[in-house]
This record gives sequence, C-alpha cells and structure tokens, in this order.
Amino acid sequence: MPTPSRRPEATPPPERGRELLARKWSYLLSGAVVVPLTRDELDREMGEQLDELCRAVHAESSAESASNRSIEQLGQRLVALGYVGEDGLRVTLEVLGKGLLALPEFQPVERYAQRIVSTLGALSAGFLAASRRAVFEQQESMQLSLLKAVRDAQWNLKESEARFEEVATSSASGILVVDLAARIVRANAAIGEILGYTTEELTGFSLLELVHPDSVKILGEAMRALVDGGQERIRQPQRLLRKDGDVARISLTVSLLRGADEQSGHFVAVIEDGTELMLLQSELNRQALHDVATGLPNRQYFTTYLESALRRADPVRGISLFHLDIDAFGMVCNSLGRKTGERLLVHVAQRLRAVMAREKAMIARFDGDEFAILVENTATTPDVGSTVAEINRELSEPVYLDDHGLAVSVSVGVVRRPPSDWEPANVMRAAEQALRRAKSGRRGQWELFHPGQDEAERRAETLAVAMPGAWEHGEIGVRYQPVGELAGGALVGVAARLHWDRGEDSLDHSACVELAERTGLILSLGEWQLATVCGQVGWWSQSARFTAPLYVGLTRHQSCDGDLVRRVRRALDDTGLDASRLTVGMPVGVLAESDAVDNLTVLAELGVGTSLDDFGLGPDDLAMASELPIKSVWVARRLVERQARGEAEYLADLVSLVRRTGAHVLVDGVETAEQAEWWRAAWAVAGTGAFFGPVTPAGEFPITG
Amino acid sequence: MTQSEWIPSGVDISVPSMARTYDYMLGGGHNFAVDRAVGEQIEAAMPGLRNAARVNRAFLARVVRYMVDQGVRQFLDVGSGIPTVGNVHEVAQAEAPECRVLYVDRDPVAVAHSELMLVGNDNAAVVQADMREPEAILGSDEARRLLDFDQPIGLLMLLMLHWVPDSSDPRGLLGRYRDALPSGSFLAITHVTADHQGENLAEATDVIKRSKSPDQVNLRSHAEVMGLFEGYELVEPGLVGCGEWRPTGPADIAAEPGMNMLVYAGVGRKP
Repeated sequence: MPTPSRRPEATPPPERGRELLARKWSYLLSGAVVVPLTRDELDREMGEQLDELCRAVHAESSAESASNRSIEQLGQRLVALGYVGEDGLRVTLEVLGKGLLALPEFQPVERYAQRIVSTLGALSAGFLAASRRAVFEQQESMQLSLLKAVRDAQWNLKESEARFEEVATSSASGILVVDLAARIVRANAAIGEILGYTTEELTGFSLLELVHPDSVKILGEAMRALVDGGQERIRQPQRLLRKDGDVARISLTVSLLRGADEQSGHFVAVIEDGTELMLLQSELNRQALHDVATGLPNRQYFTTYLESALRRADPVRGISLFHLDIDAFGMVCNSLGRKTGERLLVHVAQRLRAVMAREKAMIARFDGDEFAILVENTATTPDVGSTVAEINRELSEPVYLDDHGLAVSVSVGVVRRPPSDWEPANVMRAAEQALRRAKSGRRGQWELFHPGQDEAERRAETLAVAMPGAWEHGEIGVRYQPVGELAGGALVGVAARLHWDRGEDSLDHSACVELAERTGLILSLGEWQLATVCGQVGWWSQSARFTAPLYVGLTRHQSCDGDLVRRVRRALDDTGLDASRLTVGMPVGVLAESDAVDNLTVLAELGVGTSLDDFGLGPDDLAMASELPIKSVWVARRLVERQARGEAEYLADLVSLVRRTGAHVLVDGVETAEQAEWWRAAWAVAGTGAFFGPVTPAGEFPITG
Repeated sequence: MTQSEWIPSGVDISVPSMARTYDYMLGGGHNFAVDRAVGEQIEAAMPGLRNAARVNRAFLARVVRYMVDQGVRQFLDVGSGIPTVGNVHEVAQAEAPECRVLYVDRDPVAVAHSELMLVGNDNAAVVQADMREPEAILGSDEARRLLDFDQPIGLLMLLMLHWVPDSSDPRGLLGRYRDALPSGSFLAITHVTADHQGENLAEATDVIKRSKSPDQVNLRSHAEVMGLFEGYELVEPGLVGCGEWRPTGPADIAAEPGMNMLVYAGVGRKP
C-alpha cells in the first residue's frame, strides 16, 4: 500500500497515529458487533480500512466524486464484516469523528475538518445502503428457505397435510398452496391475517382473484411459464386485495411443486408482508437521518418531514419554518477551538429543544452552525416574533464551556404558513433567503418571509403604522434620564429617551424605538430626537453650567444608516453643541456590519464619543470593544438583571476585561444601592435606573444633580 | 417424522422460533416479525441480552479454534439453528480447510436455510433431526459421509440443552453421544442458568412461555450442568460464565457483568 501522505512538512510519520486509531476502532467495534474475525484479523482489517479513509481525505479535494464512491464502498466493506448494525456504525462514527481530527497528518485541523466530515458522511451513506441491502437479502433468503422447507416436506395433498401444517403454521409469512388452475387449495393462518380472511374462506378462491387487477395478466403469464418450465421461480412485489377492500403490499414468491406422477402438481406461494420490511428499514434509517453531534434530525430527515407536515398542516394556522444561524460562530471556533464550537452546538440544540418543548415542533441541525425548526401551529403557539425573542433570550444566558462563558444569538429566517402545495424545497429556499436578509442586518435579528397576519402581529403593526401620525400630533416626546456616578450618585450625564403618550396609557423608550425601527420611522424620528436633545443640553450648559455628557442610543437601523454622520453633524451644527459633549451608542451586535463600523469610526474622528450598547458576553463583544474607538460600553440590561438576582458573579470579570480596553463601563437598570455598590466594586463607573432618578420631561430634570 | 410433540397442533400464527430470535438478537435479518417481537420482549425483560447473545457467539468461534488447535478436524454441531455470522464450518475451515462439519437442527426452516448456504461445500452438511435421536443422527448418510468415528470429533451443544427437559433425560442422551465418540473427542456446552440472574430471567422465560414457542427453557444450576459432562474431563478454566472462558478481548465479554454469567460455558475432553 503506498504511503498516502506526501505532504512535505516535517510532520511525524502518520503510521503511528493511524495504527493507534485503527486499534482503538477495532477494539471498540469488537465489543459491539458480531464478526467472524479474530482480534488480530480485525485489527488488520480496520487498519486497512483506516488507510483507505485517510487516503480519501487527502484525495478528496482533487477528485471528489470518485473518492466518495470509494468511501461508500468502504461502508459496504464494513457491513460485509458480519452483523455490524447500528451499534457498529455508532462506534465507528464516534471513534473516527474524534480520531481523524486528531491525527497529525490532518493538521491544521481547519484545513481538513470539512473533508473529514464529508468522508465520514460518505462512509455512513455507503454503510447504510449496504446494511439495508444486507437485511433485504437476509430476509429474502429466509423466504427462500421457507419455500424450500415446504417443498422438502414433499407436500402431497392427500397424505401430508400434517407436514404442511408443521412448516406453514410456524411461519409468520403467508403460505398458499395453489393448484394448476390457480385455485387455492390450502392456506395458512398468516396469509389469512394479511388478507383479513379465515383460512377456510380463502380455500377455493382463485389466486388471481386476490391479485390487484393491474397485475393479474402478468402473474398469470408467469405462472404458465413456471408450468412450461421456462422459469424456475416467480419473485415479485405484489398488491393483494384484502377482504375489507384495502390493498396489502406484499412480496410474492411462487414456485411449482411437481406431484409424484410428474403430471399433476401444485404451486406454493410464499407471501411476506411488505410492511415488515419497511419497519426493519426504519431503524436503519434513523442512523442516516440524524446528526451525530447533536442527535437532532439532519437536513434530509427534516426535508422529508416538512413534506408531510405541509400536507397535514392545519389549513388556518399552518406551519412555521425557522432557519437559524448562530451569529459569530466562526469566531467562537477560531478563538476557542473547534471542540468548544461543537459543544456550543450541542448546547444550542438543547436550548432550542427547551424553548420549543411545548410546541409540536421538529428541530434539526443543518450544516455547520445552522439549525432549523418546523412548528405545526396551534391556537397556543406564540407569534413568530415572540418565539425568536424567546430563543435569543434563552441563548443569551451564558453557558460555561471550557471555562469560557459564552452567550450567543441567532439570526433567523422565517417562513410562516407557506401554502400547503409548496414544494418543501421552495419553503426551505424561502427560509434561507429570509435568513440571508436577516443576516444582512437591515431590519433586525430575524426576518419574515411571509408577512405576518396573526392578531398580535397585527396589533403591533397597527401601532407602528399609527406612529408617524402620533408624532405629528405631538404625542411622542423626548425624555431625559439622569446618569449617576456609582460611587456617590453624583449626576455625571444625561441619557436621551423617547416617550409616547397615548392618553390612557403610554409607551416607554424601548417600545417606541422597537415600533419605529419596524417601519423605518426611526431614521427621521431619531434625527428629530437628536436635534431636540442636543438643543436642550446646549441650553442647560448655558443656563446652568451643565457640562456632563449626553448619551444617545441608536438602533440597528440608525447605526447602519448611510446618512447617520450627516444627521449627527447637522444636529451639532444647528444647536452649537460641542461634539465632545455627545456620546452616540450603537448596539454591539450591529457592528458586525461594515456600514455601522464606518459610521462609528467617522463619528469618533469627528470628536463624538462612542459607546457600545447592549454589551453582553458574545465572544465578539470584547473584540469589538478593543478594536473600535470606543469611549464606553453599556452593559446589557438583561445581565444587570441577572446580577441583581445574584446569578452572575462572573460579570465582574467582564467589567475588568472591558476596562483593559480603556472603555468606561456603564450600567443601565440600577435600582438599588446594593446594585450600585456591586457594580462600583467591579469598577464600573456610572449608571442609569431608578436608583439615580426617573425618566422625566426636560422641565423636571435635576440638572444640578 | 417423530417430532410432532414439538410442533403445536393448533393453527397459530404467532409461533416464534428461538433460532430466528437468536439471529435477531445478534443483529441479523434472518427472522420474521413474530421472532423480532419476542426478541424485543425478552430484551425488555433482560436489558443487555443482546450482548449475552453476542458473547455466546464469540464463544463458539473461540471454542472451535481451541478444538482445531487440539487437533480436531471434524465437528458435530447439534442445535445449529439459523446459519449466521461466523458459523462453525467458516471458523474451522478458516483455521484448517480440511475440517468437516455436520449441522443438526429440528427446525425445517433452519435446515432448509443451512442447505441453501452449504451448496457447494462438500465438507459440510445438515441433517434435520431431533437431538433426542442420537442414533438417527450418528447413523445418517451425512454423518457416515463426513465423520470418521475413529478420529476425535468436536461435539457442540451450544445454547441447546436448556431446551431439553429433564423428562427427556439429557444426561442419558449425552451418554449415548459420548459412547459413539472416540477418545480425544471434545464436548462443548453453553447453557442458560438462573444462578446469577434469578428475577429478570424468570421474566424473560415467561415471555417465551407466553409466546407459545415450541421451545421452552429449562434452567439448570452449575451442579446440574456439570452433570452433563459425565464421562468427560473438563478443560481449564472449567465450567464458568461464558465471558470468562478464555476471553481474548472485548468481543468475548459483555459490558454488563450479569450477561457474562447468564450462560455457563465449558469444554470437556473424552479421555
């Protein structure tokens, strides 16, 4: 066997690593399968198979299809060892999945991971196909044996009925003895069961009467060919008619029994219930249809399931399909390693299961960091927005993997209530398109393919649509919130807020921003807010020597707005406020996009302060803080709440990490002295929240602190 | 045929065969729905039983290799069942191609299956007969053709004797086989026992009872199985749990300790 590795690098020879891996494979396999080889023979065999696999991984880039075929053949070779079955496949994938990635010849692992995965995929595919074939062949051979057993009993109508009984009753396969005129002479209980007749009822029937009309002619001809000696045996899938009118799908084997006088004779037909074979297959299929790492259904299974879900969907509520992609997953893998990445995938799978636990939903893992969820909607299914929010809320709770606290978010493409006659492929494509748009980040973390129409959605849309009018009528106003020093509570800044007074009730800042973001109104509303607050703060400076900074938070849409810099400059120019007095904040998540980064960089160059809002534990958050010209970060409110519940001591570490980048740490949602003290001790600087004073109109703002 | 008492007289569709159920437990496809259903039920009663089946199969290969190593070139496998992975002739002929093997089973389907599989192998054959007719087996045409009663013979009774009730006098039957074998012959037995598995096993045997299979289990103790080796000298390590008989690796041992002790295994040599 030629040495497969021709790479010039001075890596250690691959043989040793391979040998160990092959032995491990062989060792674990031997405890899970039934094969006729001795331990040494199995060691050798697995060594050869592993060499083939490695060769394929090395070769794959050059001649992909050819090597996939050879790997599929390797899957067959594995099956041919004996009774290998699902345990054998599981062991194989477990051992090789880890082992190949660790082999010295496949370093750096990034370069080979994809090929290794696809090689193992081809191996599984070949294995499953061969395994299925093997089971079929075994089943067929049993049928043949049964037939032979009947023949060997030298069946003779008058003398040996008992012998027929012996063989036939112990069989779960149907057995019919049919005379040359196709009339049923004898039937066992099993065929009665399959067709819903008693054995007595069947006696006297013509076999051809029981066969589906479409195939009567063919079967009749084949039986004549048996008599003429032109054919030894008939074997074909058939449809038989049940007593209740249903069709039973069976496989039929017929052969001729010649009588003692060589003249008379009978047919023996063995009927195996086709559904049994299907059942056997399903267990094998389970292996092919699930992702090994997470145990979730894979894309193939999901697509099949989608097809049937579409068909049986509730005509009013329909189904929803979510296509999810973990944000910045590549960064997790690059910085923390692929293993951590894999564990993160498992974690995400678990959380998704938890979120969807109450729904009739299938969660699948697609390739890489993509997941999909299919929900069969019911009266109690939450709307799409809530579901996505719930998913991201769940994922934002940090998980500790190898001492790294990770919180992730997902971008989601959604197709809601696709017409039931859509092809599954179309639905999947639509979801993927929506996901791509969501990832482009123009309108938030998720994107609907099919515009929403349910109640809650409509209400929110109604509000959003009413917003421009409300603004026009002066119902929407600007409010101010004090930013207090954590040590001592002195006023060290003012945060700009929005407020919608709807008479009986009112909407706070975050609700206003979310609605305005939906429609795009935020761009003009935000510009107006900016001009208003800049003017106000300028006036406070003159009138009361108020010198503290003004914090204005932007939305995703605003952050990416190509006109942002112009809008900010105009607000400053028009009001005469010094650029250094203004700090503009962008949601940290939006800075994955170059438009936002450009905006932030230019603003910083103009002397405007910049901050990262909604700062969390996403692995890229810290990277952003150190790479961008940031003056401060606002810790995400959900983290502040966690700390208040005493659940997040590690946040102190976060603060010190941020401080190392030179940015101030600010905290939103401080309600008590204890909270303020905790954050102060963690070296955060200032904060907003009930503890420092309420959101107020300009006239009530305590500019003197 | 004299085996009518082994065959249920009523017309009953749900008649599983233990030979085919065993094949299912090993992971094979040589079985029907009733067999699989019973297999599932037995395994539900005794989790890990698949491993016991696998370990027993591994013992077969080990014991055949051992006997070939001791110079045995002819085998009589009584209760051979459905040919599956690693049959006696395959293992033996891989070690020494001149090995001859006679299979015996009473199940017509198992016999038909064996015949189909052995087409073209002149050194192996199958006889349909009952274990309780030693003379019919030993005097059959196939036995006369394949077995030389002047040379040592390896007699295999694997997972077989617990189907034979005391009323059939298994000790006496084995004596009749022994008397026909020359000195230097070997007897290998694996036999299910309740010595270590009491409760679960009772449940599993209940499943078989309820299944109306013609095969019913007769559990025996260590002493009782020892008695079956009358006239033989046990070879090391004696009558032990199947997994403990000269294991060579994980293939020979079940992960569940109890499954290694569910079946006694032993080999005796006729002096």
